[in-house]
Amino acid sequence: MLEYQSRYVENTKQIMRLLSEPDKDLSDFSGWSKRLREREAEIEALRKENTDILSRELFPTLDRLYEADEEEISGMTEFADKLMDWSVNLDIGVYVLIHDALLSLARQKNDRDRMIMELYRLGMGYYYLNRALQGIDKKETARFYFRNEMLFTEAGSYLKFFPEIDNEETKGYIIRSLANIAITASDRRKRVAVTSRILKIIRDPYYRELAPGLPWDRFLRSSNQQMSANRIMLSRGELSPSELSEILEACVSVFEPEKNQENPNIRWLWPYYEMQYSCGFASLQTTVGRLEELIDSQPYDQYDMSGLYGNIQLPVYYGALIEKNPALLEDAHVLSFLIGAYDKMLKTVTGFPPEKYDEYFRYQISLIFSNYYETKGVRSYREVTEELMKRLFPREYIEGRRVGELMQTISSAIMRLEPDFFDDIPFIHEIRDPEEKEKEVLRFAGDCGLYHDFGLLKMNFSRTMATRNLFENEYQLFTLHTIAGKEDLKRRASTSSLADIAWGHHADYNGAGGYPSEYVRNQSPYRMMTDVASAAVFLAEKGEESFGERIEKLFREEGRRFSPMVTKYLSDWKLQEKVEEILCSPPLSYEREIFESAGNSL
Amino acid sequence: MSDYGPEQFQKLSAECERLKKELEEAKASSEAKENFLSNMSHDIRTPMNAIVGMTALAKNHIDEKSRVMDALDKIEVASAHLLSLINDVLDMSRINSGRMRLVEERFQLGDLLHEILVIVQPMSDARGHEFVFETGTIDRESLYGDPLRLRQIFVNIISNAVKYTKEKGRIRVGISEETSGDTTVLIFECKDNGIGMSEDFLQRIYDPFERVHSSTISGIEGTGLGMSIVKKLVEEMRGTIQIESREGAGTDVFIRIPLKSEVLSVDAESIRGKRLIVIENDAGLIEQYRRYLDETGLELQCVGSSSDAVSALAEADYLGNTVDGVIIGRKLLPGEDLFEVASYLKKAKPALSIILADNHRFEEIEYRAERAGIDRFLPIPFFRKSLIRTLTECLGGTGREAHGALSIPDLSGKTILLAEDNMINREIAKEILSSTKVSIETAENGQEAVRLFSASEPFFYTLILMDIQMPVMDGYSAVSAIRAMERPDASSIPIYAMTANAFAEDIEKAHKAGMNGHLAKPVDVNALMQLLRRFAE
Repeated sequence: MLEYQSRYVENTKQIMRLLSEPDKDLSDFSGWSKRLREREAEIEALRKENTDILSRELFPTLDRLYEADEEEISGMTEFADKLMDWSVNLDIGVYVLIHDALLSLARQKNDRDRMIMELYRLGMGYYYLNRALQGIDKKETARFYFRNEMLFTEAGSYLKFFPEIDNEETKGYIIRSLANIAITASDRRKRVAVTSRILKIIRDPYYRELAPGLPWDRFLRSSNQQMSANRIMLSRGELSPSELSEILEACVSVFEPEKNQENPNIRWLWPYYEMQYSCGFASLQTTVGRLEELIDSQPYDQYDMSGLYGNIQLPVYYGALIEKNPALLEDAHVLSFLIGAYDKMLKTVTGFPPEKYDEYFRYQISLIFSNYYETKGVRSYREVTEELMKRLFPREYIEGRRVGELMQTISSAIMRLEPDFFDDIPFIHEIRDPEEKEKEVLRFAGDCGLYHDFGLLKMNFSRTMATRNLFENEYQLFTLHTIAGKEDLKRRASTSSLADIAWGHHADYNGAGGYPSEYVRNQSPYRMMTDVASAAVFLAEKGEESFGERIEKLFREEGRRFSPMVTKYLSDWKLQEKVEEILCSPPLSYEREIFESAGNSL
Repeated sequence: MSDYGPEQFQKLSAECERLKKELEEAKASSEAKENFLSNMSHDIRTPMNAIVGMTALAKNHIDEKSRVMDALDKIEVASAHLLSLINDVLDMSRINSGRMRLVEERFQLGDLLHEILVIVQPMSDARGHEFVFETGTIDRESLYGDPLRLRQIFVNIISNAVKYTKEKGRIRVGISEETSGDTTVLIFECKDNGIGMSEDFLQRIYDPFERVHSSTISGIEGTGLGMSIVKKLVEEMRGTIQIESREGAGTDVFIRIPLKSEVLSVDAESIRGKRLIVIENDAGLIEQYRRYLDETGLELQCVGSSSDAVSALAEADYLGNTVDGVIIGRKLLPGEDLFEVASYLKKAKPALSIILADNHRFEEIEYRAERAGIDRFLPIPFFRKSLIRTLTECLGGTGREAHGALSIPDLSGKTILLAEDNMINREIAKEILSSTKVSIETAENGQEAVRLFSASEPFFYTLILMDIQMPVMDGYSAVSAIRAMERPDASSIPIYAMTANAFAEDIEKAHKAGMNGHLAKPVDVNALMQLLRRFAE
């Protein structure tokens, strides 16, 4: 690797370490706060350096890629590989950027072996990049998965020429790509069909003999696992008998050996029980009982994969099972178990050593955001997510609070002259007492600020954004945070009023631009508050512009991007001074909130 | 006293009869006019009342935005209804007074039907109908008549079928021709399984203001003049209209209109031996492709999914066969995004011609289509000649001026300044640009670009393509220097950055430096062509 590449990798690792640095001393707030700031400053310096390295070194290299020699290309590949580790991905965006360029080069040079390899690698890169989309409505994300699917499809197409391809490694990429079409296909039936095809190929002696050096048994195991992941389809009645039997066969081959172990791993045991339930071999009651047993079997402070699975993923499944079968709540034990399981889940999250942060933990957290079941008696989604923000996303928490304070300040100025400004919001409209009304508006404005970028937390963009500036293709994914946030907030009673603000704060006031296009301002009763959020978010954005320049820009965009009903208040210099003060002061009170919650168990 | 003979008496009696008849006719006409006016005043008043009432309501509740919004929505609906009523009345008046002049101009049947589909398909989709459009024998695609009025007739009939069929119904529209000499009878049929009409109502269907049910009862909006206008227009065109209907079982409308037509031959020679892949899941359309291209000598491969198209391309590539074009059809598989398909194919195979066969209004999707690398638009429905014409224009290298063409622009007579320090990149860009017949001057760094621009006559260059990272002087500085010059084209000359810088902010930086846009490297043929098209005129 070249010096700049090693430097970039080191910087990125250091940023990850800083983001996951455990709190050393929780007895002194000022010391804790000082370290927090130092850490922020270090991250910012490294982020700037990384961005600069890419601009100064990587981009010019990609610019001249067509004349690169083999050594440069293999150095580039090594650099990319260092950034994509299967457990902790340092920088998928750069990995994708490099392999996209290498694919263009292979196409340009008509180097078929390299092209197939790059199709596979780029496909894998996009697969990991697209993980940010987990849990977002399929209709919004299908096009990103589709591009991914095309890459694997193209590489897999060369199966037809398997006998004529000499390079065994290339043959391996063809088989892997074919199998991976299944992990990118948005339609589950297609997944079953694709996996069924690849299983036939892998079992076929014809292909095995053509590439004896390939790890066929490992391919078979992985494809069986892939097929068993379709067990959810068993109870849907959409599959043909042959598809059903293929899934069942895969489940048996994957789970049976594990089940018969002396200490079976719960990560295999639960899918086995789930399969039995889906097939009708086990009743709902039996399945619920088994799930409870598995959850109880893991101590809360077991932080390996099985521990996280048992303490986070299974309680999430337990909630989902109740959500699907609400009659279960008629049994008081079920609710009390759910409360206990969720408590334990949050205890595990709270106690998780930050330095152990990896892709698996990230996935578990996204499961909580997407699937937490809010019902009477359990902690509200609002309460839980706010605590999770403090513990796991302190930077976002502080930013959200800051935007919330800006929104409160602007709303307060508005309310003084137009007390019914926010009366489209039903629960505000109902309040008759002006003082009460203002109080409620300000409370709501604060909450809206805190939750405006809620979707970003699940998408895990904070780590990439801490590492360097976003690339154009990442920005396309990033814009979906508005939809991700809206979907999760809308589904729960405790947060549904915040959904429109998360959805519409990047959409233009006049509807001509911004995102998402589905947000129609006039149809939202929360539009006035969303207008306030848009202006506050814009003013709070970090950049090289001065506050004065920001304000100027805000007025230039008045009537187009920002509501004139809000900007007219911001023309008051006294309000401008207040806003600037909030943006320039250290966010001590929010830091204290994090500090105070840090030592406590949830 | 005069004597009247039998002859005179007969005359007088006949005159009396005539006068009596005329009086009756006058009475009937007057009665009809009175009825018409009475109906008119009712039908005009209804939406007007809504407009007046809702405006007052909005004023009274000006601070309650949701109520104001609701009132405005209702005013919008009522205004649209009123406007269509006025248009229909004016049409009726023109027809009745003999002031309706039908034009006779040449039009393409495919274009007319596409325009109709663009209007009625979304209406049908909104009500969840199964909408089937079938074409029978079409001998002549080039016809003479009044396309605007023909569209009015067909849209009226189909939208009635859409409106008077309960949600998730079935509507089948068929079109075919009978040709004799230079006359073609256009045969249109629209069949639905909607609410249908009673025999009694069928007798009155062409009377103004007749509707199956009162619109206020059934909730179906309409002026009640549509069928009167349709009947009169069809008669003006010397055509016939026939309606069969049964209450509860649906309605079948047949229209036959004779039109002058002409035989246009299409030379398919230039597509002989070309290879074309069609991605389509509609069996009817696949059959049409096969039938229309049967004797052209073009090698056609129809596939059901984008994945199959990618596989077919890879296979052809491996075997050393060149695929010349891909048609992305109307019906893709769920989860497939046509723009993503086009974008992927174009990136993988820049030389491939990509045609989009679709029933959208082209203007609505043109921007996205261009960005995705779609070269040509084929409106659905299409017929043999329009299909072959599109393919010859796209794959055969003939004429590129037709509507929907997005292929290589002609920049002959224009000069582009290309600033790029890397020799291979320069050669690749020159290679791509050369297909547009443009003159190219090159600079190896920013300073040279500034010098060349400064030494040139004002408005000599049409466009500057500027690399960002160059020795001696970078692209940003070069652009700033050019923009600062005191010459008439310094601020207006379009300058586009060509760079591998991938940050979203880089695009903004290029703008701030005075550039008009940004092209990513490695140079994407499609994006560059899209840019060049803007300078072709």
